[in-house]
Amino acid sequence: MIEIDNISKWYSDFQVLKGCTTKVAKGEVVVVCGPSGSGKSTLIQCVNGLEPFQQGDIRIEGVSVGDRRTDLPKLRARVGMVFQHFELFPHLTVIANLCLAQMKVLGRGREEATKKTMALLDRVGLKEQAPKYPGQLSGGQQQRVAIARALAMDPIAMLFDEPTSALDPEMINEVLDVMVALAHDGMTMMVVTHEMGFARKVAHRVIFMDKGEIVEDAPKEEFFGRPRSERAQLFLSKILQH
Amino acid sequence: MFTGFDFDVIWRSLPYLFLDGMVFTVQLTVLSAAGGIVLGTLIAMMRLSSFAPLSLFAGGYVNLVRSLPLVLVIFWFFFLIPWVWQWVTNAPRPVPVGAFLSALITFTMFEAAYYAEIMRAGIQSIRKGQVGAGYALGMTYGQVMGYIVLPQAFRNMLPVLLTQTIILFQDTSLVYVLSITDFLGAASKIANRDFRPVEMYLFAAVVYFAVSFTLSSLVRRLQTQIAIVR
Repeated sequence: MIEIDNISKWYSDFQVLKGCTTKVAKGEVVVVCGPSGSGKSTLIQCVNGLEPFQQGDIRIEGVSVGDRRTDLPKLRARVGMVFQHFELFPHLTVIANLCLAQMKVLGRGREEATKKTMALLDRVGLKEQAPKYPGQLSGGQQQRVAIARALAMDPIAMLFDEPTSALDPEMINEVLDVMVALAHDGMTMMVVTHEMGFARKVAHRVIFMDKGEIVEDAPKEEFFGRPRSERAQLFLSKILQH
Repeated sequence: MFTGFDFDVIWRSLPYLFLDGMVFTVQLTVLSAAGGIVLGTLIAMMRLSSFAPLSLFAGGYVNLVRSLPLVLVIFWFFFLIPWVWQWVTNAPRPVPVGAFLSALITFTMFEAAYYAEIMRAGIQSIRKGQVGAGYALGMTYGQVMGYIVLPQAFRNMLPVLLTQTIILFQDTSLVYVLSITDFLGAASKIANRDFRPVEMYLFAAVVYFAVSFTLSSLVRRLQTQIAIVR
């Protein structure tokens, strides 16, 4: 469903992505991990064209992200994205946050959008927070709203860019629970995260990146059992020690 | 101390001062503030555009206007617009546009440069991630601006926009150079007619102060009320 084909990206002289190639099949959950600065966030931002890239191509259900003729807004509307810092719209209530793009992008009526919104808020356990503003919610609640907002567009795939990195430890699980449930429902997911527990539980494949390269791309069991590369072994030993 | 002064002249001329003068001043202020904010927001968006010709043009406009004295611009426009209008409509001779319209266009275009700088700061105060979130939901540039960035920028900048508008309220008095009867113009005419300059100009000063000071206090109170919950 998502094909990343040999993409490279430079910030002036500095190459952040070096010929990354991988695929995410329908219904597959792929976790991308690696040390900070390894380019994993940049890679996922390239998938829906939020970050431009200079070489290679990414195709989502055959539609090229790099092609200038592609209607990017239309493509992005079908791919959900969850950000590290939630990025809820602070001037809108939770309901309005979920309804806005449904109405303005998908052209749904207010009634239909509100109905969808309430069902999704119920699903992430935040029905009571609907009339509040994002600033009145905890970080974990905000991130759950952000996931619901992405789901409101009925996406064919979901991208998560370090969804729990900005959260206090006690709030991480409430967000991961929502993501696990989503994975069990068969959602196609690409998740940049350091949460190896989440990867062990629901990932089908794990991609390990370092210095802009995909160093390892392996089924979960293989990755955690016997990582082939030294760099992945070192990384795993560092984050799994405690 | 005030022997020899006749403050009754103020009382007698109140209807003229306010119904003619102040109404004009308020009209000019409100209309050119509204026009200036709309135009200024467009200029700010142009200035922040990644398309170089647009941002250069907007930057040039802002810098040019901010380097010119307002009185000069008022004069200049008053004499220029008839010629421009003649050229646009292909009329046989310069078309007089009337002092009010001329003043309105001048103030709108002049203030737009100042409002543009305020809105530019406002737009830049919005985190880049907010824009990314809008795009990720499938919105176009126009939708991201209209529903996400500008509403937040406008709210963040509202106190500064209103403060600029208070300055505009005072600056509208410069239309006296076109012999328009704004509030100060009305006071000045009475002063000359009745030979009561001290009384009239003192009164005008008190009124400008009272209005501006009241508005400033309101802005300060508004500031705490409209803040976005974070």
